[in-house]
This record gives sequence, C-alpha cells and structure tokens, in this order.
Amino acid sequence: MFRYVVGRLLSLVMVLLVVSVIVFSIMHAVPGGPFDESKGRLPEAAKENILRKYGLDKPVWQQYLNYMSHAVRFDFGIPYQQPNTTVTALIGKTWLVTVQVGIVTIIVAFSVGITAGIIAANYQNSWIDTLVTFTSTLGVTIPNFVIAMWLILFFAVMQRWLPMGGWGESSCVVGQFLCKDWILPVIAYSLAPMAIIARYTRASIVDVKRADFVRTARAKGVKPRDVMVKHVFRNAQIPMVTVLGAEIPNLITGSIFIESIFRINGLGKFFVTSTLNRDYPMIMATFLLIAALWGLMYMLTDIAYTLIDPRVRLGGRDSSG
Amino acid sequence: MRLKFIYLLCSILITCSAVAQNETVYGTPLPDDALPYDEQVFRIGCDNTVTGTTFDFAVSVYQRYCVGSGDIITDQFQDALVDLDNNFNVIPASAESWSLSEDGRTWTFKLREGLMWSDGTPLTAYDYEATFQLEADPAHGWDLTWFYSFLGPGGIENWSEVVAGELPPSELGVKAVDDLTLEVTTVAPFAPLPKVMNFSFVMQKKALEEHGPYYNSDPATSVSSGPYMLKEFDPGNRIVLEANPMYKGYRPPKLKQIEAIFMSPSTFLAAFENGEIDAVPYQMLTPADFALIERDPVMSENYLRHYGDFRTDYLLFDTLNPPFDDLNVRKAFAYAVDREAIVKNVFGEIKAMPAHSMLMPGFPGADVDGELAELQHFDCERANTYLSDAGYPGGEGFPALEMWLRGEAPAMAAVYQAVAASIAQCLNVEISVSNKDSKVYMDALNARPSQLSIGAISYGMDFLDQSNLLGIWVSSGRHSWVNEEYDALVGEASSLIGDDERRDELFKQAERILVDDVGGVFIAHRWQGDLFKPNIQGAFREPDATGINGVHWGNSWVYSDLYKTQ
Repeated sequence: MFRYVVGRLLSLVMVLLVVSVIVFSIMHAVPGGPFDESKGRLPEAAKENILRKYGLDKPVWQQYLNYMSHAVRFDFGIPYQQPNTTVTALIGKTWLVTVQVGIVTIIVAFSVGITAGIIAANYQNSWIDTLVTFTSTLGVTIPNFVIAMWLILFFAVMQRWLPMGGWGESSCVVGQFLCKDWILPVIAYSLAPMAIIARYTRASIVDVKRADFVRTARAKGVKPRDVMVKHVFRNAQIPMVTVLGAEIPNLITGSIFIESIFRINGLGKFFVTSTLNRDYPMIMATFLLIAALWGLMYMLTDIAYTLIDPRVRLGGRDSSG
Repeated sequence: MRLKFIYLLCSILITCSAVAQNETVYGTPLPDDALPYDEQVFRIGCDNTVTGTTFDFAVSVYQRYCVGSGDIITDQFQDALVDLDNNFNVIPASAESWSLSEDGRTWTFKLREGLMWSDGTPLTAYDYEATFQLEADPAHGWDLTWFYSFLGPGGIENWSEVVAGELPPSELGVKAVDDLTLEVTTVAPFAPLPKVMNFSFVMQKKALEEHGPYYNSDPATSVSSGPYMLKEFDPGNRIVLEANPMYKGYRPPKLKQIEAIFMSPSTFLAAFENGEIDAVPYQMLTPADFALIERDPVMSENYLRHYGDFRTDYLLFDTLNPPFDDLNVRKAFAYAVDREAIVKNVFGEIKAMPAHSMLMPGFPGADVDGELAELQHFDCERANTYLSDAGYPGGEGFPALEMWLRGEAPAMAAVYQAVAASIAQCLNVEISVSNKDSKVYMDALNARPSQLSIGAISYGMDFLDQSNLLGIWVSSGRHSWVNEEYDALVGEASSLIGDDERRDELFKQAERILVDDVGGVFIAHRWQGDLFKPNIQGAFREPDATGINGVHWGNSWVYSDLYKTQ
C-alpha cells in the first residue's frame, strides 16, 4: 500500500507538470493580457511598462521556468486582480470558506442522496421511486443559480425566514458554525449532486439486487435485511464510489454562482474572473489546485475499492476471487 | 397649573436637545425631516463578481472597489481640484480658483487654505504633484496612462516622455509652486483642462512614501482628506466608510456612514426590496427588474433617469478595407438600422433613445435640433439604393459578415442582434453575430491593420467636452476610419481657447463629417439611472436645466448632500 501511494503521488507530480505546461501555453496563446485596453489603444511605451511590471516582457519559456522555480517553493506569485496580497494568501483565505461550504454540502448531498436512492431502489416502480426519480431529474436539469434565486425570493424576500446571504454571520449554533445563513446556499448547492447520488445509488442497488449471488442468498434463507446490508449494499458501493468520488473535488473548489448569489467570499469566482482578467498567476494556481485535487481523489477512490471489495488489489496485479 | 408648566418646560427641553443632537459631526444641523444622525447610514451593494484592487483613482481606474456599482465608494478619501454642478459647470473643489497664463498653456490652481488629512497633516499642492507623478510613473503602469495625453494636441507637458521612461517623473508638467499653488502645463493650449481636473483625486505624498500606493486598503494605514474615511474593510464582504471629522473641504457629508455589501448583480433588486440596500444603479438591473420597476408606482417614481456618462452604442467598421471602404456600403448600413423600433421593442425606452450621431442630446455641443438625423436614420429604400450603387443590387454578391460583440450581457447582445437583423432584412445580406471575450475583441479592434471588419460597441465620455467623444474618432484613435478634414477640425477646436462659439461650430462641423462619412452607424444613446428608496433625499432629486434629476456624472458633491428621512 505504501509503495502504491508513493508511486501514485510521484505520478501526480508528473501530471501537475504536464498540466502546468498546457495551461501556461494556452493562457499565453489566448489574445489579450492583464492590461486594460477597453477604452482605446494604450501607448506602446505604456504597454511595455505594464508588460515589464508583470514580467511579461520575457520569452514565454523563460516566464514558465521563472514561474515554476517559484511554484515549487509554494510561491505562486502576486495575483494581478489583487496586487496587495499573494496568490497563496488569497487562496488560503478564500478556499477555507469554500471548503467549509463544500464539506457541509457533501454531508447533506451524500446522506440525503444515498438514503433517497436506497429507498427508491427498495420500493422500485412505486410512487416513492417515481418521486425520487422525478426530483432527481429536476435537481440535475435546473441550474443551481435558478434554484438559488427561487430560494432567496421565497425564503428571504417573501417570507423573511432566512437571510439572503453570507456565511457564518447570522444565528449560529456554535461560533461561526451551523448558522442560519448556511441553509439556503447548502440546499441550492447540494441539489444537483444529491440528485446524481440518488440516481446512481438507486441504479447500482437495483442492478445488484438482480445478481445471481443475491438470488442465491435469498434461496439459502438469509434474512431480507441481511441480504440488503451484507450483499446488495456492499456490492453496490463500487460503482457508487466511482461516480461519487468525482463529485468531491467539484464541490470543494466552489461555484461562482452559489458563492456570488449567496455573498460567500470564496474561491469559486476566481476560476472565472482570473481567466476573464488574464490573471496568469491565479489561473495557474487554480488549475494546479484542481488538478491536484482530482489526482488525490482518484487515488483515494482506488484505495477505497480495496476496502470495499477484497478482490481488488492495488499496484496493477490481477484480482483474484 | 404648575405641573403643566413643568411638563411644557420638559417638552421644550427634550425637543431642543433632540434638535441639538440631530446635527452632523461637523456641527451642522440636519434637515427637519432627517432621521437622527446615528441612523444616517446609507447602504449600497457592490458587484461581488468583479475583483477590485484599490480605492484610489491614481492607483487603478478600472479596478477600484465597487466601481460600476454606483461609484459612491470610490473617491471618498480625497477631493479633486474641481467638481461639476448639476448643469456640468466647473465649480471649485479643493482648488478655490484657477487662472490661465497668457500663452494659454499653464493653468495655476490655488488650493483652499486649511485643508487637512485625517492624520492631521495639512493637504498641500505637493500631494497633488506626487499623485500625478505616481500616475505617470512607468514602474506603476497605470491603466489610464493614455488619459493625460488626451490622445491629441494639448496633453500635459512631458506626460508621454515620462510614461515612456525617457524623462523622470519629476519632469512632469505638474508642479507644486508652494503649499497652496499647483501649476499644470500643457503641450498646447487645451481649453477643457479645468474640466479634466475633475479626476485629480489626490493621494497623500507621505503615505505613498511610507506605505506604497495601496495604503488606503487597510484601515490602519488609510488616510483621508475627503468626506469619509475607511472604518472597516473586509475585501469581498463589506466596506464601511465613516464621516471624516477632520474634513475641512467643500462637501461635508450629512451621512454618518456608508456601508457597502458585496453581492451578486442578480440579487441587487431582491436586496433592495428586502431593505438591505438603499439604492440600485441601472447596471445592476436586469430587463425583468426594469419591468417590475415600471409596474410599481413607488419604484418608478424613485427610479431617477439621467445621462450617466453620455454613452452611445454604435457600429464600427474597418473602412480601410472592403467592403466598408466604400462609402455607399456604409451609407446603406446607416439607413438600414431601424433605431426607433429597436429602442422601443428591444432596448426599452426607459434605458435608451435612438441615436443619429455621436453626442447624446444634453452633452455640450450636441445636435439637439436633430439636424444630423437626416444623414443617419431608417430608410430601407434609400439603403438599398446605396447598396445598389456600391455594386450589390438587392444584396447580390455582398460577402457574408460576422459582426463581433464585446462580451455583451444577454440584454445588450439582444439589442445588437436586432441591429444585425434589421440590416440583414432590409439589405438582404447575411450577417451573423458573434459575442466575443472582451479582451479578444479589443485586441482585434486595436490591431493595425484592424482585425475587425464590423463590430458593435459603446463609448461613454471620460471628460465633459466634445474633444473627448469626438477625439476618439481621429485617425490615431481606436477606429479604422480616417478623415483628414475631421482630424484637422477636432485638433483646431480642442486647442481653441477664448472663443467658445467658434469652438462649438468647429466641433459641429466635425461631427457632421463623422456622421455623413459614416465613421460609425449610431444606434442608441443610453439613459442611465439609479433606483432609490423614497426616504433617500438630497439635491440629486432636484432637476437640472434640462429637467433631468438624479445623480449626474462628475457630481462628487452630491453624495455629501444625501440624507435619510423617516
């Protein structure tokens, strides 16, 4: 296991190197730059000054090497959007909030989604199943910013039950945790992953319920509850983990819509604004962050397979069973 | 009887003490209908999808906190040399007077005595000198560097040389003669210079030297010579400004505080209805919001429509290459746009009026009589005649075009799509619309030769003079349209001092050439505006000489007159 993890981490470093080369090349190939020419052409001298200020007057390969020599020391530069701080400090501050939102969302989405999926699979083709399937389809198809606006209009503007936005600012149970202002963003943010989780949980369980070994267990007289817990649910976990693991990096890197609409000062918006503003240091940092998270998540998913299914072996050897 | 007398006396005393208490930090009484001073807190929203870097114009113009969200937060930590009144006349601000040298090149501004920074340091002309030097410093890389060159004759002396790094900032044509005297020298006479000084928002020389240009981003190092000072700042969450008790300038505020909450543009109106903010600028209102406002009698009465930055929407062409190098083609396009229908049905009359020229009625020297409308209006038959004269009868053989938009939001994209549809339908030509990333668009427009054959765009003024809005059309500007006679007229008029009538006439001739030679096809002038709560009162509700009320562009003083009633 240790060798496997070290090997995977080394390969992740290689992946990050490749990602950095690709992102750096693409962002420099795209027209425009971190200077503003929305009113008119800047004088050449002024443009040169700005390029020099951002270190963009050097060849691209030299800029890349310069960037990477600092990045390996976790110095990701100064964000052009906020030159009075550093990329590391900015991400440190905003990502902390985004991770909080993401973790609460994951807890809600996974617990409700898995429960709904199990119930729907158990009562296949009943009205409960239809309701879960219908709600899941709605959850996936309606964008979260539309749901967010509906929630705000109803709960905050019309009923005035809940605050319109903020994070950790109003009526908290403990310090800045479990607050009233968590409710709307978490509902809006968790609906889509909740729907996906419910659908995959239902599909996996329905699929495993039809398997031969489940029929055999039933024929042997195993109690229905034990069949469900020990055979069906355990075997249904593998496809669920594959799909659900992929949701986690998305959720903990934030959403510009949710964070913007609910006034959460998180990292989500920087994935969009840094690209629009050609904020090269921030683009690189956010891409490397998300690539690293995806790499780690896939590694953890692979490890989770071995825990769920003893037949699965890490390190590329054939499974036996 | 005795009890009654005591009761009466007590009542008088309570009333008197209440009146005495209801005064500002400067000791001036608030209007009778005003809420108590402690409740004089004006709350606004800031767009949280835009990242700001500074509060100061001299540090960055386009990346100021809350810029575009009503602009009330920006430029409250300092006064410019001059301000504008409701009718766009220049009025004294931190400068009490100014004069011009005989050669017409050097303007001398005399500062008011006793102006003070919030740390007790006197405000002097040396602070203004240091601010101009910061703006021109090549190492600073200011994003409005072009501005003081005025893109034509009359730029500040040595501005371009300092920006290019050929001369040190100390050689700039902005000099402090003594504590209260500032001299600004231009390369050639430039009549609108006092109006341009509306942007001369000052920074403190001492703080710049000690803490660098971002000193105002931290309440600990922030220092203000303006009506407000920074009390709290949580970037991306909240800004709180408080009346500056050391302020000695021309616009002492009636408000005790201004609070800004960062929020999504899509939630401004919901927050307004929820009572969380007191005003919404038009940029943050969607078409659906406007529909709601127009249906609601209270909101529609308190939506104050004004000129804003006199923004005009227009089509631009690469007139140096086919097919738009042919004047007949350009004229055909100019007569093919049904401006009235587009404004009425797509743009909305609350937000725009049809345009037939560059200068919006209300702007100095604008064509208020509509004489230029004859040269650009909707006449499909005439449009087809011109297209036929260009060799494309009935649109036959005309190349398919792709009209670019500059990263427009859906509502504006719909307007420009309607323009393309109007032309395509009238002339039987093929025009597709492509909404590009803003920086991609500007790179194509600014490239020489231009990479943009036809595009839609808007422009709002930078300073209140024809030399600005007509100056952007000279050959060295951003458009690929060249007319030597036009360049000469704009150049002559910009430098002309002392004969306003002649100056206006020259600009009128220039604008006629621009419209007749179809440098651009003018579509609409935008009405801008702000939605206020009914209890927000002040001079901004009084109409100007043209009957328009609301916060006018360049009126820095107006927010200081604003107060809250019951």
